[in-house]
Amino acid sequence: MAILESLLNPAYLDLFYFTALGVLFSCLISFLPALHIYNVIGIFLLVILKFEATMAPMQLIALCIGMIVGYSILNTVPATYFGPGDESMSYYILPSAAWVAKGRGFESILLTGVGAVGGIIMLAVLAPAFLWFMPGLKTITSPHMFWILGTVIAYMILSEWPKGISQSESCWENFLEGWKFLGVGIATFLLSGLLGFIVMSKTLVPIEFAFQSITPVFVGLFAIPWLITNIINIGQIPKQHDPESIELDWGLVCRGTFGGFLGGFFAAYVPIVTAGVGGLMAGHATAQRDGRLFVMSYGTCKTVYYVGSFLLFFIPGLSLTRGGLAWIVTPVVSVLTLKEYALFVALMLFAAGMAYMMLAPFTRMCIWIVEKIAYFWVSVIALIIVIPAVFVFTSWGGLAIMTVATGIGLLPVMFQARRMNLMGVLLLPVCINMAGYGNDVMRFLGLI
Amino acid sequence: MKGFTHFISGIAVASFFPQAVHMASQEQSFILCLGGIFGIMPDTLDFKFAKYFHKSDFEIRPDPNNLDARVIAETVANAIRKAEKEGRGTVQLHTMQLGSNLWRSYTLAFDSATSEVVVDIGPEVDTGQVPFEGTELKDPEKAHARVKVESQFFQQFDKKSQIAIMTGPCFEFVKRDEGKIEIVFLPWHRTWSHSFTLGMLIALLVGIFTFFTVPEGPNPELYTIPRWLLYPLIILFGSMVHIIEDSTGFMGNNLFYPFTKDRTNGLGLMSAAEAIPNFLFVWTSIICILYNLDRFRWAPGDTPPGIENPASYFFWFYVIPLAVMAYFFFKGKKAKEAKEKGRPADFDGATSVERETDASVI
Repeated sequence: MAILESLLNPAYLDLFYFTALGVLFSCLISFLPALHIYNVIGIFLLVILKFEATMAPMQLIALCIGMIVGYSILNTVPATYFGPGDESMSYYILPSAAWVAKGRGFESILLTGVGAVGGIIMLAVLAPAFLWFMPGLKTITSPHMFWILGTVIAYMILSEWPKGISQSESCWENFLEGWKFLGVGIATFLLSGLLGFIVMSKTLVPIEFAFQSITPVFVGLFAIPWLITNIINIGQIPKQHDPESIELDWGLVCRGTFGGFLGGFFAAYVPIVTAGVGGLMAGHATAQRDGRLFVMSYGTCKTVYYVGSFLLFFIPGLSLTRGGLAWIVTPVVSVLTLKEYALFVALMLFAAGMAYMMLAPFTRMCIWIVEKIAYFWVSVIALIIVIPAVFVFTSWGGLAIMTVATGIGLLPVMFQARRMNLMGVLLLPVCINMAGYGNDVMRFLGLI
Repeated sequence: MKGFTHFISGIAVASFFPQAVHMASQEQSFILCLGGIFGIMPDTLDFKFAKYFHKSDFEIRPDPNNLDARVIAETVANAIRKAEKEGRGTVQLHTMQLGSNLWRSYTLAFDSATSEVVVDIGPEVDTGQVPFEGTELKDPEKAHARVKVESQFFQQFDKKSQIAIMTGPCFEFVKRDEGKIEIVFLPWHRTWSHSFTLGMLIALLVGIFTFFTVPEGPNPELYTIPRWLLYPLIILFGSMVHIIEDSTGFMGNNLFYPFTKDRTNGLGLMSAAEAIPNFLFVWTSIICILYNLDRFRWAPGDTPPGIENPASYFFWFYVIPLAVMAYFFFKGKKAKEAKEKGRPADFDGATSVERETDASVI
């Protein structure tokens, strides 16, 4: 009752204002081509808003809730039409590109929107249960995180199946053709892991921009290869159909939301694991096959990953800092009580509703842009924005890292291997470091 | 079962060894991952190695510029005739790629009631198997063929096989004692790689290696199994759980290769691609892993448990979800049965194709 009274207190109206503002900002942020959300929010808060001087801690949190919820729902739109910014998006982007190619991009975006709202509702419904079981889950899994990451790596590598279509009479020729894809996948994982070790131990990014040190890596691995592919391959996208309704039933909604929630929650809870990896594992765990199911479940997964990792931070007494946004707000949050947790859930629902209402007009706007401007030029403009942006925030060192990362990022594109292997850039060094072998590896590589 | 199901089941099996859990939490060992790796290993061996080295008696590479369903059906029928004469015959069907994202599809079915091989040339499809309207063959003579064979044949289930994208399927025809021809789908799958004998052989080799290389760990008095034995046991049980899980489906395994020659039929309790059975195994594994990690935590006297009341844990996190899954599983099964009741197998109609060739499913 006390919580309800708190929530209905007019003094908290400013929080709803800041949440709404956050959702509006998220439109802007998600429009910035091919940049990772946490870096963008970091720049936004630290450099542009200089929030510390202007906002109370809870107002900042409300703004962040608005931004992360809005971003997690709305970023599907520019990512679908202009390119993915991170691995979480690139997992979805290939199937969504197929929908765009059939003129059904709008429909796929609405499906992810339904999935995302479903994910937020599940988070809200389960929020009280989190208070009950999350402390126990943390106690059990804390000493085991490194090998859990190890199993994620092992599964990522082992679950990639050969794609070779050689029909030669020679067994060996067929075998090598099939293994070409697997070999590229493994090489991509190892090379990106090596890059991760180098970037984490001896980054070329100037110290004043240390908080942006991973930006050029992500831009190079995920964004630029996608833009280059678009520039080379795609002429004009076909006319996009604006549907009056989408084909859905409750069974599909429940299955998609449930599967996506599992993947998103796993990604939110286990450090370094992203929505893409979580979605892959949950998709396999729940044997998803339907294209609509995949797209919708992805919407849930991505939203639960981004918002859930932030929500975990607010569970009183748990001290679970997952995801970049939780780290950003850590300095301004001193005590977390049930009241802040309940407020979080309320603001999250409000932001989700608002973002969902904006989804259709936002999509129409993006479609209008890509229909007016040739897709080739959209990609060229995105590339022209991204490269100077990386230079501004990370200088020449960042550009050098970005160039190397682009080379690695192009490998799966050229050989049709999984882009997810590029997550080796974080998974491998973090897993090895958590297991306590990081220094040995870095010594072996001559990095220390 | 899906690869992930086998993978996590292998980890669950490994977590039943207290020493392995202690090694993970106290010595930063990745030993529990070994269960997962060997859990998925049988399918890895099949789909990444065995399938490339299987030689077929007949290979069908349809010419996209001169399509004729009868030619395909005749070749399949010839493989059946070979089996009639020599005991066994195999045929590999290849796909037709027309462009980077364009394929010509066709289907193959075996009508056991009339002893006919049924082939239909389908439309062009993209890699997502979405058909392009208007690309069907106009000439019905070329698009559809039924070729009768002399022998009677039987198979596990009357389903069409669609040959459309990536790699096509392979069939083996085996003459059984009563003279009937058995149709074996993907003859290179679930044979030696899915046998207890291979699991035992690998475990034996690893055991010999670890016996000489793995020293006894700290506090050996706490454990009944020496540390060197842990590795082969996790490998053995990891691969065994894969075989047991696969046996719940239709296809079965060749359990004691090379002592047994053929795959035995599975129990047919569930299909490998079904969502709920897969998730049941996954969820059971997760519940077991968490329970084992908690009960085998290091220094239980000094560390508070994550699960304070195991009965409540199993009730809320296992019994309740199990009941929900059972409800939806049987409801779905009932609805499917009602839908299919009295309906004969339709080999000529444009029905959906249900036989699975996707490596990630089987």
